[in-house]
Amino acid sequence: MSGGGDTRPKGVRQHLTHALVLLLLFALLYLGTRGSQDVHGSASTIAAAGFLLLAGTLASELVEPLGLPHLSGYILAGVLAGPHVLHLVDHHTVNALSGVNALALALIALAGGAELKLEVVRKVLKSIAIHMLFQTVMVFVGLTAIFYAARNLIPFVAALPVAAAAGVAVLWGVLAVSRSPSATLGILAQTRASGPLAMHTLAFVMTSDIVVITMAACSISAVRPLIEPGSSISLHELEVLGHELLGSVAIGTTLGLGLAAYLRVVGRQLILVFVALGFGATEMLRYLRFDALLVFMTAGFVVMNLSRQGEKLLHAVQDAASLVFVLFFATAGAHLDLPLLRDLWPAALLLGVSRAVITWVAGRISSRLAGDPPLIQRWASAGLVSQAGLSIGLGLVMERAFPTLGSGFRALVVACVAFNEVLGPILFKLALDRAGETAVEASRGTRGSASATADEVPASPR
Amino acid sequence: MGLLLLSYIGSFLVGGHALRGYGLPSGSEFVVLGFALGPFALGLVERSTLSMFEPVADVALGWLALVVGLGFGFSKEGRVGPARLALGVGLSLGVGAVVGIAVWVASGIFASELGARERTVLALGVGAACGETTRHAVAWVVERYRARGQLASLIDDLADSDDLGPLLIMGVAFALAPAAEGGLSIPVYVWTAITIGIGVALGLIAVVLLGSDFRLIQSWGVLLGTSLLTIGTTARFGLSPLLATFVMGVTIAGGSQHRGEIVAMVAPTERPVLLPVLLLAGAHLRPLEAPYLLPLACVALAARVLAKVGAGLVVRRVCPAAGATTATLGLGMLSCGAVAMSMGLGFSLRFPGKVGDAVLLCAAVATVFGEFVGPVSLRSLLRKAGEIAAVSEVPPRPSRWSASPDGARISEVSPIPAADVLATPLPGGVSLPGTTPLPAPQKLPTIPRPEDGSP
Repeated sequence: MSGGGDTRPKGVRQHLTHALVLLLLFALLYLGTRGSQDVHGSASTIAAAGFLLLAGTLASELVEPLGLPHLSGYILAGVLAGPHVLHLVDHHTVNALSGVNALALALIALAGGAELKLEVVRKVLKSIAIHMLFQTVMVFVGLTAIFYAARNLIPFVAALPVAAAAGVAVLWGVLAVSRSPSATLGILAQTRASGPLAMHTLAFVMTSDIVVITMAACSISAVRPLIEPGSSISLHELEVLGHELLGSVAIGTTLGLGLAAYLRVVGRQLILVFVALGFGATEMLRYLRFDALLVFMTAGFVVMNLSRQGEKLLHAVQDAASLVFVLFFATAGAHLDLPLLRDLWPAALLLGVSRAVITWVAGRISSRLAGDPPLIQRWASAGLVSQAGLSIGLGLVMERAFPTLGSGFRALVVACVAFNEVLGPILFKLALDRAGETAVEASRGTRGSASATADEVPASPR
Repeated sequence: MGLLLLSYIGSFLVGGHALRGYGLPSGSEFVVLGFALGPFALGLVERSTLSMFEPVADVALGWLALVVGLGFGFSKEGRVGPARLALGVGLSLGVGAVVGIAVWVASGIFASELGARERTVLALGVGAACGETTRHAVAWVVERYRARGQLASLIDDLADSDDLGPLLIMGVAFALAPAAEGGLSIPVYVWTAITIGIGVALGLIAVVLLGSDFRLIQSWGVLLGTSLLTIGTTARFGLSPLLATFVMGVTIAGGSQHRGEIVAMVAPTERPVLLPVLLLAGAHLRPLEAPYLLPLACVALAARVLAKVGAGLVVRRVCPAAGATTATLGLGMLSCGAVAMSMGLGFSLRFPGKVGDAVLLCAAVATVFGEFVGPVSLRSLLRKAGEIAAVSEVPPRPSRWSASPDGARISEVSPIPAADVLATPLPGGVSLPGTTPLPAPQKLPTIPRPEDGSP
């Protein structure tokens, strides 16, 4: 929807119309939810999906003049309609709608892999490696230390012995390293940004996914004796991880070659293929204990770099994703636990702000060392603040690994992710705008230079 | 995954690797396949599995009704005239009423355990499902046998404008048993009006959001969003999502300046959605669930045949274009398919058990019977009327890669070579809407068939 990337400014009248329609939709859903008995049936889910699709789109149009990304509009619509504000969409419906996450993540990973063009990645490989090292180490160490120091602010850690608190702090440090591929791609799809900053951020975020998954598995093994006294370090997790990573890359390569062949020979009905991959293949990969995100990312990478079908795949994914993203982020907004955020806001704010600051410092240092251009030096860390599904997923894995932590750990993860989920996309869009890489900024620049040089040839926004 | 595969096959059927004019016009082969795979016959698909697909089926049915609504009152040659539109609606209502009355009476004899409201819902449901003539069958005959003329045009117009009546009847039947009455006693006509109102309101919202500039991706979002909201909201109240989305489609078609683009956008989705729906409908069939089901279906079928024959006589009387036809004109309008089966499945999901089973079975029986009688009778009628050329008895194999004047592939879906379509004038010398006649000597390029021995 917004992925269409329409960059024309819209008039006040159009915004008023959108606001009016949005109010009407809220009124209609309000009447629907209050007037009928079908509280948990499929009808509620269908209506909520339609509503979030429309309301997310309209809200994204309304926040656009404020300079906010469309993602913020989708999330805002979800928050307002969700179970904690207007209660138009209840918990059960939100959970039912989360099924779309599988499709959204498949599209995100496919697009992410396809965006990584080998010749571009080669150019920034040294820079990415240095950024990865510094971002990972500094954020991990910094957040581990801050979490440990601030443990008295966090109810479920305050009561733990010192060693166990240190173990939880290590887990938190790993979580802080995770970023959001979905938010990054969502912003890039909306703004149609292209340029060094967009490519740098994308390459970093997509590769950091592998680093984080590895770190999570290692840390779970390492901190087990700290959190659960009496237990020993087990290498089983690492064995499982090795199998998962290598197997995922192998399956992704095969899938990528298959996709490339399909695109070349048939090349039609890609939306049905994506649905099959998103729902069917994801479920199968989960059953076989492979990482679906890594599989699809590898597949996208293979199609882009080992065949001539990359652009075709990328366009098809972007078209499909523009619809799926609305529902994905609006549902994420509805998922936000506002009462929890209210209870844990001091800790969430401290951890969120310190993560953002350390990310920024690490970005500056690594940019200097890598000799990045000034643009990257200034804005490289702005796209690394977002967190979303991956972080929550890792939090769940850790909670399952250490049931003694209870629901407090998950609650804090959700609260911090909520903070970063709202703040991150705004920062990233701001950075892309300032860097002149979004379609609007690029066309502005082009128009400016065109008028200056009286060049009459219309310029492409990209 | 099976449904996705079927949907995928359906997309190719509409896309051109298979041909319109081949296969069965009503798609009843998929109903039979679903029945064979379903819990009643082979049991390869269990009942619990079917219930998992109910939300998907709800959405698919609503989407199909939206597509039908967008095309309502339009034939291939443009907007159907008000007289033919009124005749189409009136005939479908009349046929539906005759079948409904017959079923109501018969249910009093065969199914005395049903209550008064159940009998009424049943009668309305069967009347709705048996009221229409499927536009697919008419288009199938016209395309396969290259029929052109006033009678073909008349029957095509009537088939394109007779969906409103059955859907209205369905709306009334659903309104008889709303899910959310609370303490209020709301009359049936108010619930029906609410159903229509929801469709109109969301249709208008879609028109406003589609706005003055038409962008494909945004339009998909608007159409999907409004459709899902319409389907979900009406279903929450126990009202008919099909009527609501149909009305929404009509509203969009009437109010949006982009009707052509919207229809072009959604029309290719019809077949990929329809085939899984037909399969699911077949799988839901339980003909021996109650002893009265088969007798009721027979009564409904007999009443439909009689009512259609009567409708044919009416058409002969009021339409000069049909004045020279035989009394069997009504048999040519016996085909039913997509809409009938959709309504049958809709009733089966909304009223699971006796009523739903009976309506679905009657729809399936009418569809399969219509498959054998309708196209054959129609072809015979059109041949007698001189609207089918003798040379086209055996349809020509299409050129798969013919190109339009602007280079786009256009003839994959038609058994008629593109050059013939573009060069052949319609009666009265008018050209096909949306096409530009080629200069006479120009031949469109075709790729020779492999079996021709070409390199």
